[in-house]
Amino acid sequence: MTRSDDEVTTAAGFDRALRARGVVAGTRRARTFAEVLLALPARSASELYWRARAAMLPSIDDLDAFHVAFLEFFGALGDADALRRLVRSVDAPPRRQARDLPQRESIPPAPSDRPADERLAERAPTQWIMASSEHRLTDKAFEDFDESERAAMLRLIARVRVAGEYRTSRRRRAHAHGDRFDFRGTLRGASRTAGELLRRRASRRRERLRPVVFILDVSGSMAPFARALLQYARVTAVARPAVRAFAFATRLTDLTPLLKRAGDERLMSAIASAVRDYGGGTRIGAALRAFNDGFAQRGAARGGTVVILSDGWERDDPALVGTELQRLRRLARRIVWVNPHKRHAAYEPLARGMAAALPYLDAFLSGHSLRTLDAVADAIEGRIA
Amino acid sequence: MPNSVDVDDLRRRLLEAGYVADAGLATALACAVALERAVLLEGDAGVGKTDAARALASVFGAQLLRLQCYEGLDLAAAAYDWNYGKQLLAIRAAEGSHEHTPDLYHDEFLIRRPLLAALGATRPRGIVLLIDEIDRADDEFEAFLLEFLADFAISIPERGTVAASHPPIVVLTSNRTRDLHDALKRRCFYHWIGHPSVEREIEILRLHLPQLAPALAADVARASAALREHELRKAPGISESLDWAQTLQLLGAQRLGADVFERSLGSVLKYPEDIETALASATSIIAAADGGG
Repeated sequence: MTRSDDEVTTAAGFDRALRARGVVAGTRRARTFAEVLLALPARSASELYWRARAAMLPSIDDLDAFHVAFLEFFGALGDADALRRLVRSVDAPPRRQARDLPQRESIPPAPSDRPADERLAERAPTQWIMASSEHRLTDKAFEDFDESERAAMLRLIARVRVAGEYRTSRRRRAHAHGDRFDFRGTLRGASRTAGELLRRRASRRRERLRPVVFILDVSGSMAPFARALLQYARVTAVARPAVRAFAFATRLTDLTPLLKRAGDERLMSAIASAVRDYGGGTRIGAALRAFNDGFAQRGAARGGTVVILSDGWERDDPALVGTELQRLRRLARRIVWVNPHKRHAAYEPLARGMAAALPYLDAFLSGHSLRTLDAVADAIEGRIA
Repeated sequence: MPNSVDVDDLRRRLLEAGYVADAGLATALACAVALERAVLLEGDAGVGKTDAARALASVFGAQLLRLQCYEGLDLAAAAYDWNYGKQLLAIRAAEGSHEHTPDLYHDEFLIRRPLLAALGATRPRGIVLLIDEIDRADDEFEAFLLEFLADFAISIPERGTVAASHPPIVVLTSNRTRDLHDALKRRCFYHWIGHPSVEREIEILRLHLPQLAPALAADVARASAALREHELRKAPGISESLDWAQTLQLLGAQRLGADVFERSLGSVLKYPEDIETALASATSIIAAADGGG
């Protein structure tokens, strides 16, 4: 075995170890890693670590999995304890995906501790209707929809494909009746006509789709609606480049990477892990805060619509919901809140989180059925009844 | 390998150039230089991504070309453009003297923007190309960069392909306002620049502000670290710490005490809510600043 074979074997083996831990570095990175090991041989564990990291780590979000794979692969080859100490000494960077929300000291009230009149106002009048429709959505997979529901779903898909809110982009494209004279194109044309400027060429601004962000409460009674809206988000994501989706119960999980690629199974297990620590009561304010800090402030929602699904039952301080929505209002173009309870005639926004949210919403919709999802689509595009 | 670069040596030379790099960053930069491949630096705003490229240029005595990205950045602004006015004049002049139509796509009509200029190095490591805040550019520009980074060549339809005889050292930075395409990331070395440790921050402060009193430098570094522990909209980066230290210097402070804390806070925190948070725990932050004595 020649020397370069060693490096290649190491790099390829480490690539496999990473893949086993869910980090897809890819052959190109593995080849680079081998080249690095040849060009700059690692003389210590720390040197090996940083070379591996520079070449093989796709994103800081993958760091934890990277560390596990690094220990597994290189630990088996040499001094595992030294490597473990090394990895531990590396500062953990701020996590972005699935970041944990700060824990509160106060003990959250169990659902049954909520004021009885609040609960009654929201649920009692037509409780049996809600229970049955929830039941139907929860227990039935999408392929089991009956004919009328499936037709409506297809209509909705068709609608989303053609519709969409646009804004003018900074980019330009050639256009016969464009508003800006295209000097370069005109001159190029002129060289074909012996330098005579015969044909005027022009360009106009392109149009771009605005982003849409779904933030879905997947806890308890919201789960079936979240599932339907998530399906809707996936349909939207096919037609639009800038669609993101997040799930939250007590913490925020970014589902965007799974939207376009993953099958139902992976998406559902991601949601399940987001709900895992759900203990009755949602932390809307904290989830919105995590979204604002990690995404909206960096520009994820800028110029776009944010769709929030929740019943507004806040386990912690409802004032935080108001504060964070106020912030989000400054960062996004439009906020649409979907609360399935709103479909009841006797509904009043008595849930304290909901009441705190209302002043900051552009649209407040029920979105509980395929038909009312249409209204959600309208609201995303700014057509608000 | 002819291009080999020693990591520790590079780290030392970066320090001489006024940049404190940790082992991870120095390794990523050394890999990029040795293998002639781009390096992508990510991190919060103000942690010294851009400065890393500046320091790298100064280490190799290279020319630094900076391309600031924004949405709608196109080839005319990033790679090259034609000097239309000059072309028109050439046409008219040729008409007047009844010559043939001149070559309108000659060198003299070409305007070299940073990407094209970066291909013109006359010696190895002669140019550092900084593609700043690539996350602000759009997908179309990222797609173009793929080709550029793979071949270090730009094809100009009117001229043919211009290739670099000595590839530039390419540093990309991103604030993570959006995720970059994996195709682009795969072509780069990657390093996440985190917030520095207190010791490293003191070192940086003293390196950049030689007249700063050592005690004040330590105070600012510890207070910045304490601020980062709070839940802030925007945790202070190194550049904010530097601003803070300078402000305190300007206010004539010897130490970071309660008297100057509130007055100088606007130089380090840029959101009213953050300033409120900091003022609410002013006592503990000032105590933390005083920490090591």
